[in-house]
Amino acid sequence: MPKLIIDNREIEVPEGTKVIKAAEKLGIYIPRFCFHHALGAVGACRVCAVKFQEGPVDGVQMSCMIDAQDGMKVSTADPEAADFRRSVIEWLMLNHPHDCPVCDEGGHCLLQDLTVAGGHGIRRSKGRKRTYTDQYLGPLVYHEMNRCIQCYRCVRFYREYSGYSDLGVTGIAGRVYFGRLREGILESPFAGNLIDICPTGVYTDRPSRYTGRRWDFERTPGVCIHCSLGCRTTVSARYRQVVRVEGRFSQQVNRDFICDRGRYGFYYADRPGRPRNGRINGQTVSAQQAVEEARDRLQRITQEHGPEAVGIIGSARSSLQTLSALVHLCHTTGWQGPVFRNTWIAGAAADAAVRALSPENAFSMREIETADAILAVGADPVNEAPMLALAMRQAQRTGAEIIAIDPRPLDWPFDFAHLACRAEEMEETLASAAERLSASRRPVVICGTEITDDGIVMQAADLVAGLRGSDKRAGLFCTMPQANSFGAALLDESNACAADLADRIETGQIRALAVFESDLWHVFPDRSRLSTALEKLDLLVSVDFLDTPLFENADIGIPSLTVFEAGGIYVNQEGRAQQVRPAHTGGLPIAAAGLGDHPPRSFSPDVPGRDMPAAWAAAFSLSGQAPPETDAQMTAWMRDNFAVLADLAHMEADGVRLFAGRKVSIPDEAQIPEKKPDQFLELLPAPTIFGGEPMSGHSQCLRELAGLPAVWMARADADRLGIADDDRVSLGFENIEVTLNVRISDPMAQGVLVVYRHPDIDWQPAPDGKRIFISEDQIRRIEKA
Amino acid sequence: MIRAVIDIIVSIAAGFYTTGRHLFVRPVTESYPEYKRPLPARSRARIILTRDPEGRERCVACYLCSGVCPVNCISMQAAEDSQGRRYAAWFRINFGRCIYCGLCEQACPTSAIQLTPDFEHIRRDILDMVFEKQDLLVDLCGKDPDYDFYQHAGVVVGLAGKGDHISENPPVNTRTNMP
Amino acid sequence: MWIWLLGYLVLMAKITAVLTAVMVLAAYLVLVERKLLGRFQVRYGPNRAGIYGILQPVADGIKLLLKEDLVPEGADRAIFLAAPAVVATTALMMFAVVPFGPRLTIGGREIPMVITDINVGLLYVFALSSLGVYGVALGGWASNSKYALLGGIRGAAQMISYELALGLSIVPVVMLAGSFSLVDIVNAQAGLPFILVQPLAFGVFLISAMAETKRIPFDLPEAETELGAGYHTEYSGMRFGLFFLGEYVHMQVMGALVAVFFLGGWRGPVLPPPVWLLVKIVFVVLFMIWVRATLPRLRYDQLMNLGWKVLIPLALVNILITGAFVAA
Repeated sequence: MPKLIIDNREIEVPEGTKVIKAAEKLGIYIPRFCFHHALGAVGACRVCAVKFQEGPVDGVQMSCMIDAQDGMKVSTADPEAADFRRSVIEWLMLNHPHDCPVCDEGGHCLLQDLTVAGGHGIRRSKGRKRTYTDQYLGPLVYHEMNRCIQCYRCVRFYREYSGYSDLGVTGIAGRVYFGRLREGILESPFAGNLIDICPTGVYTDRPSRYTGRRWDFERTPGVCIHCSLGCRTTVSARYRQVVRVEGRFSQQVNRDFICDRGRYGFYYADRPGRPRNGRINGQTVSAQQAVEEARDRLQRITQEHGPEAVGIIGSARSSLQTLSALVHLCHTTGWQGPVFRNTWIAGAAADAAVRALSPENAFSMREIETADAILAVGADPVNEAPMLALAMRQAQRTGAEIIAIDPRPLDWPFDFAHLACRAEEMEETLASAAERLSASRRPVVICGTEITDDGIVMQAADLVAGLRGSDKRAGLFCTMPQANSFGAALLDESNACAADLADRIETGQIRALAVFESDLWHVFPDRSRLSTALEKLDLLVSVDFLDTPLFENADIGIPSLTVFEAGGIYVNQEGRAQQVRPAHTGGLPIAAAGLGDHPPRSFSPDVPGRDMPAAWAAAFSLSGQAPPETDAQMTAWMRDNFAVLADLAHMEADGVRLFAGRKVSIPDEAQIPEKKPDQFLELLPAPTIFGGEPMSGHSQCLRELAGLPAVWMARADADRLGIADDDRVSLGFENIEVTLNVRISDPMAQGVLVVYRHPDIDWQPAPDGKRIFISEDQIRRIEKA
Repeated sequence: MIRAVIDIIVSIAAGFYTTGRHLFVRPVTESYPEYKRPLPARSRARIILTRDPEGRERCVACYLCSGVCPVNCISMQAAEDSQGRRYAAWFRINFGRCIYCGLCEQACPTSAIQLTPDFEHIRRDILDMVFEKQDLLVDLCGKDPDYDFYQHAGVVVGLAGKGDHISENPPVNTRTNMP
Repeated sequence: MWIWLLGYLVLMAKITAVLTAVMVLAAYLVLVERKLLGRFQVRYGPNRAGIYGILQPVADGIKLLLKEDLVPEGADRAIFLAAPAVVATTALMMFAVVPFGPRLTIGGREIPMVITDINVGLLYVFALSSLGVYGVALGGWASNSKYALLGGIRGAAQMISYELALGLSIVPVVMLAGSFSLVDIVNAQAGLPFILVQPLAFGVFLISAMAETKRIPFDLPEAETELGAGYHTEYSGMRFGLFFLGEYVHMQVMGALVAVFFLGGWRGPVLPPPVWLLVKIVFVVLFMIWVRATLPRLRYDQLMNLGWKVLIPLALVNILITGAFVAA
């Protein structure tokens, strides 16, 4: 543990710590461009120069390149070092263009800050500036190479940290160029982080280009709700509208970065089609009128047919507040539900995961980064929980062996062994692969819950328990379908699924249905059954912030607030409850109020469109109760009424871990998946990164990246059926015809057709208890590529 | 002691003499509505948005004026036009709040926003004091007639590509390693 | 009975005449002061309301009457509302003992040209002057504002300090006149005005009088640059108007007292006696305005030094000297 003195203050740091980090521990910020704590040091920018006055190193040196050693005496304010740094900035500015006013980085630009801090204001050079031609890098990132100061942060992040190779550096001397070999869309789904790590404006945010300056944004700490990981974000809002989402550092969850789905998935919140008014039988009314009408009609049905005639459906994309309010609603009224599971099997897998996770075996993403062996079962992190892929990449960089057991064609940014197998073979494969973990010290088993059943989850949990028994620091990490799947499983008492309610609608027992923030139309396994069932209802109430087909067709539609307006608590897949604060006051965005031109020339203390309730407030109102007035009162109410949520009182910066310990639940009998019949192919709907969940499909920029809807099949299957890559085929199943492009993959399970969810595919059923099989003659080729 | 007292009396008397003498001096006041003194160009009153020598809007909606404004009376929304120029989709100054401090003019990197000597723009209705972009935009270059920001910025706008601006080298050829 | 009623009517007529004259004069003194200050500073002063701005006092009065009467939150309401009245009333009441002419004989009946000739008139004046301190101190305290409180405290300290000098400076005059009655004092100056006999007393009295009226250079209780507006910071509308009126009436009272004690009161050639008094009052007030235009505000320690270490000793010495002469 070397001891050194920095600016007359002594500090002891671990061996191998760079001087720049040692100074940071003392609260001394040494200027830097190339050094980044997640990416390490390269000594490219020369701006972190400090003076070593005594000790083994002498003179002005780069503090990011020198390890702290005993006896060092370092001065950051020494005139020689300060002068050196000032000169470095002036050199960097020699070729920097004079375009700060039209650069989106202006206002939060590290180069701008340090230029001002260094006192360089007037250009002394008479020389001409170097220029570069820029590249189109896709709909997310805007490239402006003139501004580059050659810090290498972008390629270090893109190639080393995240493991993609299509962005790099070319040229020598004054021609160093950061970009792609050929212009084109960046392949990495983490490309948006280039915007955050670039110390100046080479990479800027394209969708929010020119929307504002950082100093004008209301910046609120948020949590991403586009997958189950719950990455920390910083939400920037301006003029009552979210304009930008950036990664926020979190020690345990996502560290510094977020994926592009989390960064750009927010556009659903302010798009023009978002419901902002209530609807009664197609008539537009105010939100409050819709709530009152729904309350009155539900009460009438309850009086006439008894409380069993009303069913409540929720979903795991709602906040914990909404979920607990729905449970409370059904308790007080006697209505049926709430049902949180779209399908029985998906719910069972999530439920098994919640029961299997305990404070001992549940690993966070930070712990995955330090694992030395990773076994992933039925999990496709890039598509289901993208930041998990980055965590696995860090483990792989430090030498971890990674094994994947999955039927899908996996495209991960690191080396791994892919054991492709179908669902019925998974159990066996997992058992045999487990032996390969025996040599490791810190193995992690990652288990998906979207295409697996509860049996696999329990088997993975048993495996972890076994590894821990043989004295390894083993952990279990389960990905889940939606942001609050863990919370829904915690609160779910009925374990019923939407199909159970459909049964009761068909028998006429249920006459009214209230659906909270659930896209039943898209996720219910059997669409024709759903539509006949819904037609039988006397009353269908939909509470949602998305204009889903269900909302459009409901008798009463109640618009609800998004997470950016209402905030909420979301429990991520490792049981970490995290608080989200509202990012802005809500109401109609000024851009919409002014119809694209300047804001209306009127003065009023009211904000138009602010009468929408949060979904949990609407749930209280439907039973005629007054909802708690403030968020704090609501949280207190949740703690007092639900034993599993009592720990919310200990909410800290890193959230609080909730576990199912207090939940009394009987484990379900694991089902053995049925075998695939010969001459049939299994149709496997799978989640996908862009547009794979209900919200991000509304972002125009992400839809561009989602590409065309496609069906993936193994090469052996394709050869047998005489289908080539890029052919168009028509799949006919359950009286629905879908036309898709074919993609052929080598490393995927034979006998499986993988169809990734896509915003353009109208209906993507989540797999329910029975798997979907298509006979080979139902696959017809329409066009050759 | 006596000297001090005499000094005091003399100095006080001098003061009384000075003020008393003023009674017989013609006041220097200029009676405003009857006589309007021509004001220097740098006087700070009504704000305008100027155009560049080519007649295009100078304002690039960089938000610096609204950021520096101590009373938050400037608001705007930046946008990008078909040429790639950044411009203000709308630009609003609430003169009901403006204190005519001139910080916006100092902050403006493109010499777009300028204060003029025209201080007589009072309105009866406070909402009439809210000026939109069309009210602020003039067809002049104002105080810095030759300056065209985009000639210096180096971003691709319209026909001018990389290397076409003032004091720029042609774009680097990244495909060669020749010195 | 008839006589009594007639005497009552005459008294009412005198009160009406004096109050009207004092109020109108106060209003126009404001204008005169503003005009003169303007000229002292080489500008015009108010010249928009009517020709040469002569309607300015009317406009000011209307404005003050129409303004909202604000009472700050947390103020001691009753005291806050009463304080301006105390200041204005005490100032107005002092005029009751100021003689404005010799006895008039109408129909064989002598009418004294003074509202009431109290034999301790001088003490009455000082008593009322002391009461005026309450208006300032309580108004400042009741406002529940730090500026007003500081102004009120300064006002109380300043007025109490200078009351001593004011009182002591007048003792030689009483000794010479041999009476506390203002009528007798005027009568005692039938030959020579006391200013010639008692120049030192005149100087001390004039300076103390300016301090009593809280005028520049003694306006520490208001001290705009430090305290906003001092003790009347929180006042608005006509309540502020009453403070303002009180100050200008007080100026006139002090002018009248200077005239009565040192300038021979209503005595003078050619012009009728009340006019002479008016001329003398206005002369003193104009001098006060000139002082305002010339001298800067004293610092607090300078104010206290001047009062306690210069004016009071001077007044005491003056009493001794005068005593010696009177006894001799």
